[in-house]
Amino acid sequence: MDDDKEKQTVIEAEIPMGTVHPAALEPYRVRLFVEDEIVRDAEITVGVNHRGVERIMEGLPVEKANSLTEKICGICSNSHIWNSCLVAEKALDIEVPERAQYIRIIMEEMERLHSHFLYLAHGNEVLGHETFAMRLFYIRETVMDLLGMIGGNRVQYGAPILGGVRPRCELDDKRIQKLKDGMDLMEERLAAFADRFVSDPMVMSRITDVGVISQKDALRLACTGPTLRATGVESDLRTEMKEYDPFEFDVITQDGGDVKAQLLTRVFENLESIKIIRQAIRDLPDGPITNRSWEMKDTPLTKSYIEVPRGTLYHSYALEDGRVRHCVIRTPSMANIGAMQHACIGHHITDAQLSIVQCDPCFTCTDRAIQIIKI
Amino acid sequence: MSLKSYSRGRAVHVMLVYTGGCNGCDIEIVNCILSPKFDAEQYKVFLTWNPREADVLVVTGPVTKHNEGPLREIYKAIPEPKAVVAAGACALMGGVYKNCHGDIPSEEIAGPVDKIIPVDARVPGCAVRPQDIVAGLVSALPLILDAE
Repeated sequence: MDDDKEKQTVIEAEIPMGTVHPAALEPYRVRLFVEDEIVRDAEITVGVNHRGVERIMEGLPVEKANSLTEKICGICSNSHIWNSCLVAEKALDIEVPERAQYIRIIMEEMERLHSHFLYLAHGNEVLGHETFAMRLFYIRETVMDLLGMIGGNRVQYGAPILGGVRPRCELDDKRIQKLKDGMDLMEERLAAFADRFVSDPMVMSRITDVGVISQKDALRLACTGPTLRATGVESDLRTEMKEYDPFEFDVITQDGGDVKAQLLTRVFENLESIKIIRQAIRDLPDGPITNRSWEMKDTPLTKSYIEVPRGTLYHSYALEDGRVRHCVIRTPSMANIGAMQHACIGHHITDAQLSIVQCDPCFTCTDRAIQIIKI
Repeated sequence: MSLKSYSRGRAVHVMLVYTGGCNGCDIEIVNCILSPKFDAEQYKVFLTWNPREADVLVVTGPVTKHNEGPLREIYKAIPEPKAVVAAGACALMGGVYKNCHGDIPSEEIAGPVDKIIPVDARVPGCAVRPQDIVAGLVSALPLILDAE
């Protein structure tokens, strides 16, 4: 028995990736501890991207701080500015006109669409199917053009302002028609893609049972958003938000928690988003889009949670002389880092990058924490 | 046109480095090369992640202090002739992250990019538009094609 043990030569090694790495795109550091090509432990280090947005926001006038939150993330910029406005609106009791609520929902759902398309394209690129990735970028262009049409910019389009939406983002008949056409086109292309994706045996064999996160582990690691829903947990903050009350949509869940479940969750969520946008266009109420009758006052710390493409986003700040104090932002990728590390363990080293990408990391969002140095 | 510059023109490799921006510019750059709508690949411009293979370095973001070292090393690793394109407001002048502090120097940001490595072409915008990126890449190409 002892002789056998001596004969086994287990190679233990550490494979560092990053901070700049071909597959990772964003700068972050991964350390994989491998034993004969099987990952035994993984460690993700963030902090390279830290720009100190919360500290810059400290003491800024609230309107200026709101537009700065947009620059936290280029993918979910509208979610940040929306949630930041919601905090101030909750604190100052500002009533948002109904038409503005609907336009905000349309922008948010379009953001979910383009974020999920980007995720699917990136996922397909990492798993080695560049044709699918290009196809998805092609489908994504439709929604980018629509966002550019409404917001005036393809990326930082942030529609919400305190008490409504920007006048630039008003939806007239011409824009509504373009939105409708865009949604039809996108649904058709997405359905065609989904058919081909699911029936492709090569892709399916590559992503089935890879990077598995069990439901128990997902709950233990406090995952949020589609990452959690892909393990079968019906958890969507949109069902509890009053802004989403007028709309009917399903909470998409998948079983398995592997890469296949993660990708398919996003595909079906995109179809749900198209459904919500159609409802919003159909029932779009008339009326003003901004409420300007409100007064600034000092408020205690107010917090707000919303569901964004990656999960639950938290913003909180207090207002003092119209300026932001004690700003704290917590992004969903922060909660999902544990799942990313966990998904790598026990799988082959070549699957590690796919296991990380499947949790939809956005480290530019995440890097805001202030580093505490032990003395 | 020499044989070398002819062959260089047939395969321009672009390397993209994120240095702490908001992801907006980076995705637009990947979009303008990979997406079939803009499709810079049809002009034989390819995206690579290997500095030793690259001709053009596209830098986005305000260059955080942690990213300063890696950026210098990547610049050194790219073989001559090379060109650097700084894309986006952050790469050009630090964007909102640097200038919000006013006169107080930022503790996080080491940039903008031209403080750290020489920049040949500048693409403005927040976020940059894919059309502008293609224009910026084209304006940097003579540096590579006409090099001795």
